[in-house]
Amino acid sequence: MRISVDLNRCQGYGQCCFADPSVFKLRGEEVLEFDPAPGDEHRLKVIRAAKACPVQAIYIGESYEEQEERSHRHE
Amino acid sequence: MTQKSKIDFKQILDHSHIANPYPLYAQFRETPVALQEDGSYLVSTYNEVVSLLHDPRISSDMRKSDAQKRFMQQAKQKREEMIAQGQQVEEPEEIVPAFIFQDPPNHDRLRRIVTSQLTPERVENMSSHIEQIVKEHLDKHAQGGQIDIVDDLAYPLPVTVICQLLGVPREDEAQFHAWAEPLASVLDPGQVQTEEQQKQIMQAGRQMREYMGQLLQKLKAQPGDNLLSGMMAADDIDGAMSPRELISTAVLLLIAGHETTVNLITNGTLAMLRSPELLERLRQDPELIITYVEELLRYDPPVHFRTRTALADIQIAGTTIPQGATIILVLASGSHDGQRFERSEELIPDRQGNEHLGFGSGLHYCVGAPLARVEAHIALGEISRRLIEPKLALDPPPYRDNAALRGPRHLPVNFKGLRS
Repeated sequence: MRISVDLNRCQGYGQCCFADPSVFKLRGEEVLEFDPAPGDEHRLKVIRAAKACPVQAIYIGESYEEQEERSHRHE
Repeated sequence: MTQKSKIDFKQILDHSHIANPYPLYAQFRETPVALQEDGSYLVSTYNEVVSLLHDPRISSDMRKSDAQKRFMQQAKQKREEMIAQGQQVEEPEEIVPAFIFQDPPNHDRLRRIVTSQLTPERVENMSSHIEQIVKEHLDKHAQGGQIDIVDDLAYPLPVTVICQLLGVPREDEAQFHAWAEPLASVLDPGQVQTEEQQKQIMQAGRQMREYMGQLLQKLKAQPGDNLLSGMMAADDIDGAMSPRELISTAVLLLIAGHETTVNLITNGTLAMLRSPELLERLRQDPELIITYVEELLRYDPPVHFRTRTALADIQIAGTTIPQGATIILVLASGSHDGQRFERSEELIPDRQGNEHLGFGSGLHYCVGAPLARVEAHIALGEISRRLIEPKLALDPPPYRDNAALRGPRHLPVNFKGLRS
């Protein structure tokens, strides 16, 4: 799983930090810190975080490893 | 120039629309910003609501509105007349408005102190407790029959949670249960009409503040691991909370915990029981609850409108809202705006990119939103999963009077038993 956040959209509402405090952290009032490639055990919490974002700034995709694995499978 | 339109805010307050105000909102949106008979402005379209919520020229402090200034002037005059006639008159109580009724910078200081205590860790720690409360309340109905979703789950759940989080003894709830509803009615201008009602609200407020004052004293002597103890001890670069600020903040959080999440859970149950297909989808796919709750916050939200005051002349959608005017922002109408949301009048449980206004937007964004989400995910997830053949006993259900904090008073549901 790979997470990207559109930091131009992010307003620091902090809703993602409540959904998964170990992946998303607000430093001060505005600066978002996040783990871009959390383990699979975070999947549900990260979906909750992305859906709760008031400005829909969080994108969830495949990690590089997952992409690699998939492209190998297709070869 | 703005025309005095047929768009009449009083229609929202008319109880005949309360079961389904959305067709009315669609009419409102034909005039995005509409001047009302009393000089206030009704704003009903998504872009205009959002733009005003983010505009520093609008205030949440009612004391800055012309209407409130007139009201205070009249009250003062009346008091002086009574004194002149030799009557006994009570000194008006000095009340610090809660932070939703304040502007920066003081709002920011108070809100920072609240959020410094309402942390992600604290909310996360509540979730297993929330699961337990939901289970206990549902387990009482193992035989099936009839359950009132409001009285038997949607009301007691958030109340138990907010009491525990704040540090309010649950057994005191019976005392302030009766105060919460009149206090919440302050947000609904349609209800505050008779002198009798106003007296009742003032009295409920006084009793609630007295109760909180005493509780804070107790917690000061014996602090616990809860929000009130934390807020009392919290320091802020711009200063700690004063005792009056602590009381008004505590009262606000307690009322918000009583009067909002109940509607989210009840509206969510109502919608899923109106659609057998939706109920089946929720059962088949437990993750669907995540987007379903966001869609509920758009489609049938607990909070329908909030008022603000213009601090300057504001030009918007071809209209000038004059300084001092009251602005009614119909959040629930903005969330139904077809210009912003595709198939806006349909409930789409897996809707993507859902930037609804269910929790507001901007600096007053609901401080309890994360807690409401956890409670709604768990309660609605369990209701959909566990009830066997649930059917609405009444549709539409009876609604409470409040048009601002809108939701059913009862939601009786017949069912055949519980899954484990």
